[in-house]
Amino acid sequence: MDQKVRNVEIPAQWDRRGLPGWCYHSDALLELEKEKLFKTHWQIACHVSDLPEVGSFQSFDLCEERALIVRDKEGDIRAFHNICRHRGSRLVAKEQGVCPNALICPFHGWVYNLDGTLRGAARPETFPALDKHEFGLRPIEMEIWQGFVFVRFQPGPQPSVAELMAPFEAEIAVYKSDTHVPTDGIWTEETPVNWKSIRDVDNEGYHVAMAHPALQDLYGYTYEDQPYVDGISRSDGQFTPTKGRRWAVRNYKKISKPQDHLPEGFHKTWRYYGIFPNSVIAVTPETVLFYQEFPLSTGKSMLRSATYRNAQEDRQQRAARYLASRIDRETVEEDIQLTIWSNESMASKSFEGFYLSDLEYGVRSHHDHLRKVLPVYNVEDPPQEDQVATLNETLQSRLSS
Amino acid sequence: MGGTAPSDEAHAQLAFLEVPVGAPGSGGVRYAAAMYFYQQGLMTAEMLEVYRQCSKFDDEDPVDLARFEGVANSVLNSDTAVGQGA
Repeated sequence: MDQKVRNVEIPAQWDRRGLPGWCYHSDALLELEKEKLFKTHWQIACHVSDLPEVGSFQSFDLCEERALIVRDKEGDIRAFHNICRHRGSRLVAKEQGVCPNALICPFHGWVYNLDGTLRGAARPETFPALDKHEFGLRPIEMEIWQGFVFVRFQPGPQPSVAELMAPFEAEIAVYKSDTHVPTDGIWTEETPVNWKSIRDVDNEGYHVAMAHPALQDLYGYTYEDQPYVDGISRSDGQFTPTKGRRWAVRNYKKISKPQDHLPEGFHKTWRYYGIFPNSVIAVTPETVLFYQEFPLSTGKSMLRSATYRNAQEDRQQRAARYLASRIDRETVEEDIQLTIWSNESMASKSFEGFYLSDLEYGVRSHHDHLRKVLPVYNVEDPPQEDQVATLNETLQSRLSS
Repeated sequence: MGGTAPSDEAHAQLAFLEVPVGAPGSGGVRYAAAMYFYQQGLMTAEMLEVYRQCSKFDDEDPVDLARFEGVANSVLNSDTAVGQGA
């Protein structure tokens, strides 16, 4: 649709190596990743439909930071640090809920209006007068795009989400995802790998024929990956004309029923848009969804995802969505195993590193995006842990000069 | 308070203050409303503190607790609260 402006060609000659193994288990590098990648790049916190009424809130933790997304009295969505201005406690401890009147800190009982201003401190007579704005919740940069609520904890190199996603806005807008509603909430699971091993698997379709029999049965040879260009990748699979050999795929292909507003060319397509560094928005004829991964430590990550459906979904679409979720669940389980194998290779002194196929150029393009933010990824031999940050700064200043 | 007229806000907060004891989440809702009336000068700090003590216990009636602890219930009656809550 809009890809003419993106150069997605795979170069005739390219460096087929991946990131050096040390990058997958360096605590010092992880600290840089948290500061320079995760906190400074847009993250999907939720969807507007996760906040259906006044006072609905969604909390979202990322790399020791905490966001609180809330729908205020005017119906507007706001994002704040989930931090009480008194002692820094979590203002809301649950992932989701409704506070219809105000937000109350569970530690001492400071009360905040839904617009973030301070209504009052507990035991107010023990404080001097507190300005409701000065002691209000600290806002977080937020942008709503196609119904998805993005937050960014610190300013960063990316443009607005709308600008970032502009090459695909028209293609995604046809799904009318801003009108969708939740299906079964936000799913999370811890997994024992470095976050980049998850992305390394997700960024290529070379493994699909081997590892994902259901996806192969669904879209097989039609599947295509476009690499990350200006922070966005795109992958696309069209349903193959076969009936499908596996039960879920056979029945899904039979009853899949696109939403009424979808144009013909979108009726039999699953499509994925990777958003650097760690998120994906995906679309199917029946649903839109997001998934992402965050580091918890060098060897542990959090998977997080949610699926949204058309509010007018009929019984057939509901059944199709169930079948699609079975295919998806099977695929996620298979991918988790692949990420474990990929990640453990990075700890082996006997493994000499990736040698990537043209079908894995998406992995390379993601790594190149990473290298641009943190040039220390270019260092092949493991640096001393206490030298990683300094080395990165030195390399960064050389690139800048 | 947002785009709501003050008297509307006072009505809304009074409704929150009077959410039935036992309703899920009602302890916090009542305390937040009590904070509104305190800030308006319509509730004493002692009574606000009773609401704070009850804020995590939806089944605890702040008026009962105030009576039990001998705290004068300074919450004005509905007419007064709404009339002055500007």
